[in-house]
Amino acid sequence: MSNGASPQYDVVIVGAGVSGNLIAKQLGLAGKKVLILEAGLPVPDSREEYVNNFYLALAKTPESPYPALAGRTGSQQNPVGVLPDPSKLPTPRATVLSIGKAPDVSYLVQAQPWIETHDPKLPPQNPPPDENGNIMGLQFSSTFERNGGGTSWHWLGTSLRELENDIQLQTKYGHGVDWPITYPELQQLWALAEKEIGVAASTAEQQPLEVVGLVFPPGYEYPMQSIPKSTVDDAVSKGIAGLQVPGTLPDTPGGSDPTMYNVFVTPTPQGRNSEPYDDRRVCAGNTNCIPICPIQAKWDPTVTLGKALDTGNVTVSYQSVAYNVEVDGSNATRVDYYVWSRDANGNLTKVSKSVTGKIYVLAAHAIENAKLLLMSNNWQGIANSSDQVGRNLMDHPLYLSWALAPEPIFGYRGPLATSGIESLRDGEFRKYRSSFRMEIGNEGWNFSKGDPYTTALDYIQGTNNTGTNDGGPNGAPQRLAGVQLAEKLNNILTRQFRIGCMFDQSPMAENRVTLDVTNGKPNNVDGLGLPRPKVEYGLDPYTMEGFRMAAYVCSQVYQKMGAKEFTTTGMGAAGDFTYRGVNYHYYGAGHVVGTHRMGNKSGSSVVDASQRSHDVPNLWIVGSGSFPTVCTANPTLTLMALAFKSADSIIAALG
Amino acid sequence: MTTNPSTPSESTLQAFADMSAALTGFQSSFIRPFLDPVNLSGTFYSFAVSQVGQPRMDALLNTFNNLSNQTPKLTPQQIADTLLETALDAPSLQAQLCQSIVAMWYLGSWYTPGVLGGNGFAPPALQVITSQAYTKSLVWNLAQSHPMGFSPFTFGYWSQEPASLQTFGVDTSNGGGQ
Amino acid sequence: MKKTITIILLTIIAATLVIMTSIPTTMAPADSNPAIVLSPNIPGDATFGPLPPNPTNEQKLLAIQGDFDIYSWNTFIALNWPPGLDGNGDPTRKIGQNGDNDTVWEHYRDVADVFLPGGATPSWNGPVSVPTQCKASYKPGMRILSQVGKTPTVLTDFSQPFNTGPLIDQNGNYTRYEILVNKPMFDYILANKLYSKAGQQAFKGEVQFPCGGPNGPEGAIMVKSSWKVISPADRARFHTQTVLVYSPASQNPKYPASCSTKLMGLVGLHIGHKTDSGAQWLWSTFEHVDNAPSEADIGSNNTLKPKTYNYYNPKCSTANCPPNKVPPRPWNPTKVSAFHSQVVRMNMFKGNEFAFQSAAARNADALQLLLGVNSKSVWRNYELISTMWPTNTGKCQAAPGDPLGTPAPNFLANTTLETYIQGMVPNVSSNCIECHNNATMTNARASDFTYILQRAQ
Repeated sequence: MSNGASPQYDVVIVGAGVSGNLIAKQLGLAGKKVLILEAGLPVPDSREEYVNNFYLALAKTPESPYPALAGRTGSQQNPVGVLPDPSKLPTPRATVLSIGKAPDVSYLVQAQPWIETHDPKLPPQNPPPDENGNIMGLQFSSTFERNGGGTSWHWLGTSLRELENDIQLQTKYGHGVDWPITYPELQQLWALAEKEIGVAASTAEQQPLEVVGLVFPPGYEYPMQSIPKSTVDDAVSKGIAGLQVPGTLPDTPGGSDPTMYNVFVTPTPQGRNSEPYDDRRVCAGNTNCIPICPIQAKWDPTVTLGKALDTGNVTVSYQSVAYNVEVDGSNATRVDYYVWSRDANGNLTKVSKSVTGKIYVLAAHAIENAKLLLMSNNWQGIANSSDQVGRNLMDHPLYLSWALAPEPIFGYRGPLATSGIESLRDGEFRKYRSSFRMEIGNEGWNFSKGDPYTTALDYIQGTNNTGTNDGGPNGAPQRLAGVQLAEKLNNILTRQFRIGCMFDQSPMAENRVTLDVTNGKPNNVDGLGLPRPKVEYGLDPYTMEGFRMAAYVCSQVYQKMGAKEFTTTGMGAAGDFTYRGVNYHYYGAGHVVGTHRMGNKSGSSVVDASQRSHDVPNLWIVGSGSFPTVCTANPTLTLMALAFKSADSIIAALG
Repeated sequence: MTTNPSTPSESTLQAFADMSAALTGFQSSFIRPFLDPVNLSGTFYSFAVSQVGQPRMDALLNTFNNLSNQTPKLTPQQIADTLLETALDAPSLQAQLCQSIVAMWYLGSWYTPGVLGGNGFAPPALQVITSQAYTKSLVWNLAQSHPMGFSPFTFGYWSQEPASLQTFGVDTSNGGGQ
Repeated sequence: MKKTITIILLTIIAATLVIMTSIPTTMAPADSNPAIVLSPNIPGDATFGPLPPNPTNEQKLLAIQGDFDIYSWNTFIALNWPPGLDGNGDPTRKIGQNGDNDTVWEHYRDVADVFLPGGATPSWNGPVSVPTQCKASYKPGMRILSQVGKTPTVLTDFSQPFNTGPLIDQNGNYTRYEILVNKPMFDYILANKLYSKAGQQAFKGEVQFPCGGPNGPEGAIMVKSSWKVISPADRARFHTQTVLVYSPASQNPKYPASCSTKLMGLVGLHIGHKTDSGAQWLWSTFEHVDNAPSEADIGSNNTLKPKTYNYYNPKCSTANCPPNKVPPRPWNPTKVSAFHSQVVRMNMFKGNEFAFQSAAARNADALQLLLGVNSKSVWRNYELISTMWPTNTGKCQAAPGDPLGTPAPNFLANTTLETYIQGMVPNVSSNCIECHNNATMTNARASDFTYILQRAQ
């Protein structure tokens, strides 16, 4: 309740990630006073601790450098180390190691897969489709961080622009929804984001993608020369020369697109230095972009935060978890938050505080933004007359395929991905099935099979957990030693590669984040007593048809290259599903979008094109949660572009 | 320099290193260079002893020394195949220990001897031994590359083919073939 | 018994052969006993004494570290020798004979005068670039500690590498840095036109600075120094210079340009030298003895000498003054800062104790020599932290398969120059060779372990 006092700040921002830091910087440069409330720990003075965490981690997942950590000792019971209990942490978050687990391990409360809840002796099953053909009860498999700098500490760096038709999916193809922004405006905003990040690419090299509607304003040049392609990229590119695939496979529900599309490789615009830029080093190919670049050649949000702090107008309050945005009438009037710390015995303590601003910005990432909006006003929720807060949760579900090339192509080198197949991202087929981009991985079978560990142990111990060790008598695994072992591993590791297909998943109202409460009481809480997010997630036939196509295209790529495919899928584990009799597995790409989508109509969207709430005019809700569709490019570049627009609109509103 | 009972002698460490070279297929000078400021041989020797006890390590090195002293001289490949019992269906405890030693050098982590992976997954490691054990782990040399997170190379290297496996330390002249 | 002797002999022979390939300078007639000497002759490379018989790994490392530390002290003494008119050390005078003295390395070329606006051709002896704000106070011969250029990609002179943060003394003044190159390094840059972006772009082949050899002359040498504002009362304890401290205008953080005359004391000195035994260069680092206490000093409390540290306040508790914290942004070097850096020297030699032992012994030897010239020599206040050298390398080129040369010790930092990365995490904590291996020219091509080439305009 306002007591007439002036707001303490011009703007209060919740979250020190990509959007929060960018908006803070822009506001700070414009002379506005900003407070950032960051739930997690401060940006460390050096990345020694984080990188050391990574080196010592048993499972080198995206979250492995960042607190809270898994234990460093493995056992049969806890093969990846003991996982922290979210109910005891002040800032628990979704992690790869907790996907599909029960709430004593998984921060997100969501359906568990068959193998977690059934007797292992029973044959596993995948969830059946519902009456719409949707498969619900699946695990949302993307994760995020809650610390200074946020999730994009561990983004890959891929900085592709969306396509013209990505943002008008409804108008062009009758599917999904349109974005309330024009392509020319986005082009201007992308240029700003590309400069802020330092994106390495050449428009000349992107020119072949005009065929899918990727166009640049005349004369536009990226800030830095492009990153050289890897030997893997070259091998794929040469191997698939001339390959074409149809828009749809036979028997695609709804219709067909028999057009033959060219399949070709283009280098990926990337947010890592190909020249000394911004006081940061040039990429040395540490092949570790996810989870952490040890030399900060890859941009991360702490770079922008540094510039925000340089303005002298931005303060960050760390370990500050916002739990309520107070709305009086139709105006936001304050943010309540807990400041947490640990006492000398390691016990968690919290103190409740409040802060006021003229304008409030929620930049806590898609799931935490939704949670905060839903928690506010005594869990009645705010800014939600559209009933869309938390809904339309989307990811790029990721289909992974992997193979052995006929000759060494030398993966495990360079940035994690330097090229992709972008030429299938648009076409008539989008009326009938999800589109996808294809990311060519430079890291061998690291993502696919936990290699080189699994393959090495296969040949040391005589097992066949990777599928390649069947060269003994009657297909038995070999157990090798000395130089023979070394040369065999060399032969295999140098031929490994993988392709990841990322789908333009449909927005579905039933894919949603809500509070995990029953009858007004939380079922599960975090260490501060706040309710946990409950997530419901599934896939529709439109998206699953995309998987069907992707599996086909990947196999065609491997076949054309003369590569032997080793893709396997499981049954009954997190991410497994069956569509039209075929088993698939999806991973999360780490692209969490949709939970407070933007739109022109306040009845069906939460924010407008500037990410300003329709309901609460001094509240901005920013980040990938504003995307109305997930489109076909990795979201970070676009979400930063939108943040530039938001910053301008906030500065205008402040007058 | 006082001798500490738990500090292995030069000759013990050199034997451990030479045995590791044979087992892993790397040159001795890669495993334990003439000047060794990182001293992974010492770290791995001590760690293995902490896991399996001094008697088992002593017995293993004894077996290795006997094999090394045989006439006619055995090749490193022959020594490796003997210690790791690659011809047998079920490796003995000592051979399993050798497997864990190979895994230490290749992967930088300790894998409990005799614990196998399954269902498409590698066995669980007990721990990454040290961060340098990881950044100097050798399986990446077998990929003619570097550990993820530690690149000693310079910008653009990934667009060229790497140096030979021999340059990366594998003793290909003493070959295994295939 | 006979077999044992044979094995021992074979081991010694094998060891000797390997010495010849990994430290090749022992093939040349070596000093049988390298020693620190008072001489203006800059060593072209380290020289090596014999190893003890049947040495353990530790003993070998200790012996050879010792040789490199002797080399470092001889280099320090020669570089800090008073120069004659030709810029070389003046053999008629001695270092510190009058307490303090002008030095050879301070007549090397500042990188600000190598990488000129517009990529203009530099000269070795030409005039110094004097910023507008400094012209009123400038007198010929004065040094200018200045920010180099205005391009955003250039390292600033008051922030440590990659903008990790400034070092602020107990009076709230920013520590200042400068980088200078010797004539062989300058000549290579000039001859290959590496002083401009266009020149670097046109350059074919690999950047290979010239190597010094054990019989001289020296190879490429780059010096990075750190300076603290001092009062005249402190003169006796520092090598000092009266300089112009210049900060150009900054957009973010926003502050105007400023230039003022200040009395500065040397607190840190990095010497990088490309040599036959140092294909990845040899990295020597020295500090003023009063910079900061070590972890061990503080831990046992009673060894904390009651003295004034340059960068540590013994009266401030760990809770109020947590050690080695980066000053909060914004950083404005034109103003006195309320925040003072509280620096502690961390132990980065765990497992490499030979580095401690060798430096301590060489520091004692050097101190004797310097005091012998003048008991009030300012140079008695400087100590070697260590020398980083590649243990596995060829003559003036990397050994195949080992681009970094497996450096010893594993980590090394100067508390005034790498304050905030004094850990033991590979690839991140301070390691001269690992970090400089990432250095490139403006076009991202490798620059032979120096970051200065990326300053070209």
